[in-house]
Order: sequence, then structure tokens, then C-alpha cells
Amino acid sequence: MSDVASREYELTGAETGAAEAVSFASVSDYIALLKPRVMSLVVFTALVGIVRAPADVHPVIAFTALLCIAIGAGASGALNMWWDADIDALMTRTRARPVPAGRVTPREALAFGMTLSVGSVIVLGLLVNVLAAALLAFTIFFYAVVYTMWLKRSTPQNIVIGGAAGAFPPMVGWAAASGGIGLESVLLFLIIFFWTPPHFWALALYKSGDYARAGVPMLPVVAGASETRRQILLYTLILVPLAISPFALGMAGLAYGTVSILSGSIMLALAVQVYRRREGAMADAAAKRLFAFSILYLFLLFAVLLIETVQSPTWLGL
Amino acid sequence: MPDKESEKGREPTGIVLTPEQKRRRRSRSVAIALVLGGLCLLFYIVTIVKLGPNVLNRPL
Repeated sequence: MSDVASREYELTGAETGAAEAVSFASVSDYIALLKPRVMSLVVFTALVGIVRAPADVHPVIAFTALLCIAIGAGASGALNMWWDADIDALMTRTRARPVPAGRVTPREALAFGMTLSVGSVIVLGLLVNVLAAALLAFTIFFYAVVYTMWLKRSTPQNIVIGGAAGAFPPMVGWAAASGGIGLESVLLFLIIFFWTPPHFWALALYKSGDYARAGVPMLPVVAGASETRRQILLYTLILVPLAISPFALGMAGLAYGTVSILSGSIMLALAVQVYRRREGAMADAAAKRLFAFSILYLFLLFAVLLIETVQSPTWLGL
Repeated sequence: MPDKESEKGREPTGIVLTPEQKRRRRSRSVAIALVLGGLCLLFYIVTIVKLGPNVLNRPL
């Protein structure tokens, strides 16, 4: 055995008795358990919820709320990795994650996820407000139990219903700032909720082999690529007008209206491309383009809402 | 009680960590310390923010 291989074996420790007694994880492994990229989207959308809420909130309280929401989201990611380690090991996209790679034991991931879940909810409840804490607790429960443990392996509608977990953060942020739930926070929830299926199914279209190998009943695996393309188009047809509605209802300004119409048109055009190009490299390329643009699309919508709010004289106290 | 000289020559028993494992354990300990310190600071600042000027208003 080479030095490198020998060291990796020692560090993995999965087959040694020491694995249970000594942790082999580095700090970066624990950070990876928090799914930092997902967390960054959660923080961003929650920030928009805090800023858009019709209430004055002290910056320190807003920061505390954001921190708790971020930690809560990370905790649910850790619980997801604990539960899904078996299927993560079978998929190219996920097999390098800390638990399937053997750098973190399942027990460590579970303890880490539970500690952060309970801690983030309690701190949010004590330092900010109880409604926000209750919503955060529900979000963690929904992602870790309803989506991860139940829906993911049992229905092709897994990411449709499970998408609600990713859609809650702006509502939690809104509740943290205002102590209530407004119509606009529901709209923000719905935008992310209807954005999730086209986003994930675009990914699933060109990663369907991965999901099939792991036995995850994603829509392309169960219903086929053709039906998935149709569903992507249908959800995009609902999503685009929904994303324009804050402008149409007078909740957002002209900048948001312009961006939501333009970027929505691109999103729709890409969804049509995915629907029409069904075979070969062109089909994969179309799905990859839609997946990549969907991230930019959601970012643009929320970024413009944020900029419009922080630039308004009312928000600046002028 | 065995003297220190005879202990030195003996092979260590139980779990022996490699230098890399020790380094990782140390970095985890530092990270936990930083998080705990950060939490203390956060609770302190939020207390001041929530109490505001009343933080000094108490009967002597």
C-alpha cells in the first residue's frame, strides 16, 4: 500500500474499531455537511424576506435571525446527508460527500445536524420571535423528515412537495422582521416553490442515470424524459407570471417588472428548448442551460427586490 | 507505581493518532472554541440591543 493510500485508509477509519471512538473529520468536512451552496441561497432569500417586511428591525436582530436561518438550513442539510449516505455513495454527484466518503461517521452527522437544528430554533425563538422559530422548526422538519425520509424515495413528486422546504426561508425572514406573515411573503414562497421543479428536473434530465442507479424515483426515471420535459414547461408557464405578479400587484417597482419580464422570457424560451430538443448532445446541452439559467433567474428576481427596497427613501429613513 | 523511565521504552497501547489526525482534532477544537466565543458575543450584544438604555437602569 502506498503512503497516500495508507494515510487515506488511516484517516477514513471506517473499518477500524477506532472509528467509533475518534473522529477523523476535518473542519471543512463539517462545513461540507452544511451544504454551503444551498445555504447561500437560503441566506439570500431570507435576507430579502427580512428587508421586504414592513417593519423596522434592528440590524443586530436581523443578523441574528439570518444566522439562525442559515444554521437551521445547514442542519437540515447535515440530517439529509446522514439519512441519504447510502444513495449518495451510488451517485457521481454526491459520492464525495463526507459521510459516503467515510470522513464523517453517520452518528457524527446525525449529532451535528440535531444539535444545530435544536440550537438554531431555540436561539431564534429566544432572541427574535416565536413565530419565526416555529416556521424554521417546520422548515427543518419538512426537509429532513417529509422530503428526505419520506418523499424522496417514494414518489416522483418528491421535489415538487419537498420544494416547499426551500421556499420557506423568505417567509421565515419576513416573520423574523415583522412577527407576522404577509401576502408578499406568500408570493415569495410561491415563486421559489414553482421554481424548484423546472430547476431540479433540468438537472435530473442529464443526471437520470445517477438517480436510476441509486433507485431514487425522480420523474425522468419513473415517467421518462418526455413527460419530464412536458412538466418542466408546464411549471415554467406557472412560474413566469407568478414571478411577475409582485410588479403587477404593485408590490414591486418598474425595475423588478422589467427584470422579471425579461428574465422570465429567457427562462420560458429555455424551457421550450428543453421541450423540443429531445435527443443527443443538444438535448443535454439544453437541459444544462436551463439548469444554469434557473439559478441566475431566481437570483436576479430576489436581487432586484432587495435593491429596490434598500434604495427606497422610506427604507433609508429619508 | 511504575517509574517514568520504564514507561518510556514501552509501546503505546490503545488508539494512537497520526500527526494528521492530531492536527484535525486540534482544528476542530479551535473551531468549536471560536463558535462558542462568537455565541457569547452574540448573546451579549443582543442583550444590550434589547435592553437599550435600560441596561444601566436598576435599583441599587
